[in-house]
Amino acid sequence: MKDEFLTFRIKRFNKNRTPSQWIDIFQLKKKKGMNLLEALLQIRDEQDGSLGFRYSCRGAVCGSCGMKVNGKPLLACRTILEKLGGDSFLIEPLPNFPLIYDLIIDMIPFYKHYCSIEPYFDHSKSPPLLSEYLMDEAKRKEIDPYIQCIHCGLCYSTCPAFGRNKEFLGPAILAKACRFYMDPRNEKFRNVIFKVDDLHGVWGCNTVYQCERVCPKGVLPTHGILKLRKAILNDKLNRIKDFFKKFSTQFLWRTNQHV
Amino acid sequence: MEFVQFHPTTLFGTNILISEAARGEGGILINAKGERFMERYAPKLLELAPRDIVARAIQIEIDEGRGFEEGYVHLDLRHLGEKTIKERLPGIREIAVHFAGIDPIEHPLPVQPAQHYSMGGISTDLEGETPIAGLFAAGECACVSVHGANRLGGNSLLETIVFGARAGKKACERIGGKKADEEIFKRCLKAFEDRLKIIFEGNGKESCSKIRDELRGMMTSHVGIFREEKKLLWAKKNMEALKDRFRLIRLKSKLLAFNFELIQYFDLESMLNVAEVIIEGALKRKESRGAHYRLNYPFRDDQNWLKHTLAYKDEGHIRLDYQEVMITEYPPIERKY
Repeated sequence: MKDEFLTFRIKRFNKNRTPSQWIDIFQLKKKKGMNLLEALLQIRDEQDGSLGFRYSCRGAVCGSCGMKVNGKPLLACRTILEKLGGDSFLIEPLPNFPLIYDLIIDMIPFYKHYCSIEPYFDHSKSPPLLSEYLMDEAKRKEIDPYIQCIHCGLCYSTCPAFGRNKEFLGPAILAKACRFYMDPRNEKFRNVIFKVDDLHGVWGCNTVYQCERVCPKGVLPTHGILKLRKAILNDKLNRIKDFFKKFSTQFLWRTNQHV
Repeated sequence: MEFVQFHPTTLFGTNILISEAARGEGGILINAKGERFMERYAPKLLELAPRDIVARAIQIEIDEGRGFEEGYVHLDLRHLGEKTIKERLPGIREIAVHFAGIDPIEHPLPVQPAQHYSMGGISTDLEGETPIAGLFAAGECACVSVHGANRLGGNSLLETIVFGARAGKKACERIGGKKADEEIFKRCLKAFEDRLKIIFEGNGKESCSKIRDELRGMMTSHVGIFREEKKLLWAKKNMEALKDRFRLIRLKSKLLAFNFELIQYFDLESMLNVAEVIIEGALKRKESRGAHYRLNYPFRDDQNWLKHTLAYKDEGHIRLDYQEVMITEYPPIERKY
């Protein structure tokens, strides 16, 4: 009989209570194919209407149901319980973010970083087109790994660099920066690299690839960060080269005069 | 509001959309007897027939016992091959693998129709303004009337990109340089607080989730893909019972922040209101048009029904009115596929 039930130990948080954090235990009957979000909704419906968690699309598109389950950050909607193994689950809010209520975290730090890279195309240099801004298939495929982010924050919860330094732009946003750097439709693509060229940007990454392991959408932030580092170094190198070119032509011109 | 679109292919279990792309690439629908049943319903267009036709075809197969045990048919992509599926349908494969644990390269997908989009909504003009001056609606909740009785896939973009922008611009214009009237806000807040007090005082034995689940079940079985007089009348009668029970809801939490029961209460109230209008409109419309299909009136009847249904709430009761359809370039003709 015991095996027919699933046990959910859920970490709760309410800043108006003492202690503000505690664990509640809920049990549900096993159901074939049940995912974690369904389970949480059922608990809220039948056992505790005050259980707090975010969700919206139920289909891994909106990125709002990120949480930690048995130590692993994942999306509740896309987690089939049988696949996790075992009958008992410890559910916690995503680490590295301020808590608001129960499993609901404050995503403002994430969105502040997002705004800071100005994640939009800049067409201000040329007159607006009357049709679409097209790009070719090969380029699209190249950008694809950096484009699929759903802003769930799973990568932030597992990133050691963001864990230490909340000013670090973080994996999702640096991947996004890479996407805006690579996109040929973005006229001011070079601006992107100036925004990420410091220890809060690409140089703060520990390149341990944790973000790529947890991303539910297959985004490759670490790869993107390495691409940006290379772009920054090339940009610097080119500027140095330009400087010497200018310097050497001037120098040659002078020497010629003396001759 | 009676025009509710059912998407033919949603993943069995979670009802997540398996988009038209799958059939567009060449995916085929197969019933439990191994038949490509669309040959019987739309011999020319087959799986690419309009959504309402494919949804009805699948539902008939299931209802007549040719579906798989739990009520679904198969969407088979295997013949497309690994390369095409990976290159052209990566999103669909991802959904199937993660939500159903099925890889479409190796196995057919279990699919069934599910409610998808509401063609009806809050009536607006081309600038998103409703008949109530200053009140705007945009998105799926609005009805500009561009989708007719059957929205085409991808066309909801119109709601956001075109009419959302228009509504925003017009709303800004309306405000002009005027300042907000604090008194109005205060009055609304007071009215809302009074209402909350009444809701929190509710002392019956009902819970939101039970009524919600019953309403959902009833709308699917009685007001769904196929509609008939008897079932619609029963639904109408049962609505009264559900509304009575709604008044007996007792909320456990009286908090104002993170009170999910309260949110659910408001959701349910809206669901009941919308469901009532759908039932009423469907009951009155004695014809079949687009997504609205009446078993006893299987044909379109332009003479009597080429018109919009407008629903009003008068003293708690629904009153229906009708409005002419503006037809520009394409007059309606019989659909043959």
